[in-house]
Amino acid sequence: MEGKSPAEAYQQAVLALPVRLRREALSLPREEQGRAEELRLRVGWPLAAVFPEGERPLGGPPVGGEELEQLLEIASRASVHAVLDQVRQGYLTLEGGHRIGLCGTAVCRAGEVQTLRGLSSANLRVARQIPGAAAPVLDGLCPGGRLTDTLILSPPGLGKTTLLRDLIRRVAQGEGCEPLRVGLADERGEVAALHGGRPQLDVGRRTDVVEGCPKAQGLMLLLRAMNPQVLAVDEITAPEDVRALALAAGCGVTLLATAHAGGREDLARRPLYRPLLEEGLFRRMVQIRRVAGKREYTVEELS
Amino acid sequence: MVRLMGAVLVAAGCAWVGFQVSEGMRRRVAELRELARGLALVERELELWAPPLPQLMERAAAHSRGAAQRLFRACYQGLDRLDREDFPTLWRRLVEEERSWRGEERELLAPLGELLGRYDGPAQRDGVAAVRARLEELADRAQADCRRQGRVYRALGLSGGAFLVILLL
Repeated sequence: MEGKSPAEAYQQAVLALPVRLRREALSLPREEQGRAEELRLRVGWPLAAVFPEGERPLGGPPVGGEELEQLLEIASRASVHAVLDQVRQGYLTLEGGHRIGLCGTAVCRAGEVQTLRGLSSANLRVARQIPGAAAPVLDGLCPGGRLTDTLILSPPGLGKTTLLRDLIRRVAQGEGCEPLRVGLADERGEVAALHGGRPQLDVGRRTDVVEGCPKAQGLMLLLRAMNPQVLAVDEITAPEDVRALALAAGCGVTLLATAHAGGREDLARRPLYRPLLEEGLFRRMVQIRRVAGKREYTVEELS
Repeated sequence: MVRLMGAVLVAAGCAWVGFQVSEGMRRRVAELRELARGLALVERELELWAPPLPQLMERAAAHSRGAAQRLFRACYQGLDRLDREDFPTLWRRLVEEERSWRGEERELLAPLGELLGRYDGPAQRDGVAAVRARLEELADRAQADCRRQGRVYRALGLSGGAFLVILLL
């Protein structure tokens, strides 16, 4: 992933597409390839590319159901059994950290999704790392040069994961702060995107990643097995996650996490997040907001 | 002198044909055993950790020989061209193209292309185990045939040659 231009990342991502769709995707001018964020495949509709300004069909013949099956075959290298856990959750990670979201008819057993059949649509999200995303907040989060317990807050789509990834990378590399061992519980593979055991997105050389297991279990596993100095997790979503973080904090590990919330008041209002404040698990809070079309970061002291 | 040399050549030729047929039967037994051994490895890998097909095929190729190795290796290479040929088609084509196998083993092997990589680990393992068991039966039968008929073909070659020599001399 490192060193790839946006257009090269796009060209790598479209390798997962069946030949006809790949040709269509590559017919975009190079400048547009670099701007495209996603490709949308919906059965019965032409392939469409998503740009920051919106979605635009590429004008070819409609996507067929068999092309979505082929997409899954190519993306999994004919090994659906090996990626079934991801497919059950509706996505698939590719080499380079790109990700395919899948939709179709869910096959359920005992109330749990077993797999998806009859795929109806897919989106291919091009992974692009933004090195330097953490630069504006690093000083505020590293008093005395060492990372302190940090919670990143924002509504969806404002770049929490990107900021978290770059913070992890900097801490693990010792860029602008003391280098520390980071344990990352990456349940959905959105932060490091492991592929063949190797993070496809740069999370630094001192980072150990657990992927595919519930966050709370992943945190405990890292704590027991990898002796981390920092524990990182993307999106606290369940009380178990909060309990696991509290336990880790008791072991003297620095915490780095994200949560969907508009701000401190929002955090205090929601029962799930309230214990984070009450128990004083975090010392700093980064809030991301969009102001006049640009991201703005605010670092606030919590205790 | 020329007649004697001709007779010797005819006798040797007939014996060679007999021995070749017998050797072919022995080779088939060895190929069937090798294939069954390759599938047993695939079965164990599926049981243990159900790796993705490229890893499965690479490992099976590294630990087998002959036609089985050719099949697994070609599959491994073909997995890089799935945009042009899907796995079931690739597997079926490779099975059909392998010259050292007969109809029986081809019929047994071909359906595995529809199974491998598509179902969960235990389902794949059970399917592979069933094919392996049938292949072992086939190998046992071929070995019994080889023991019984191999001797007959060798004797036929030798005696046919001797008969022709008597006729020619």
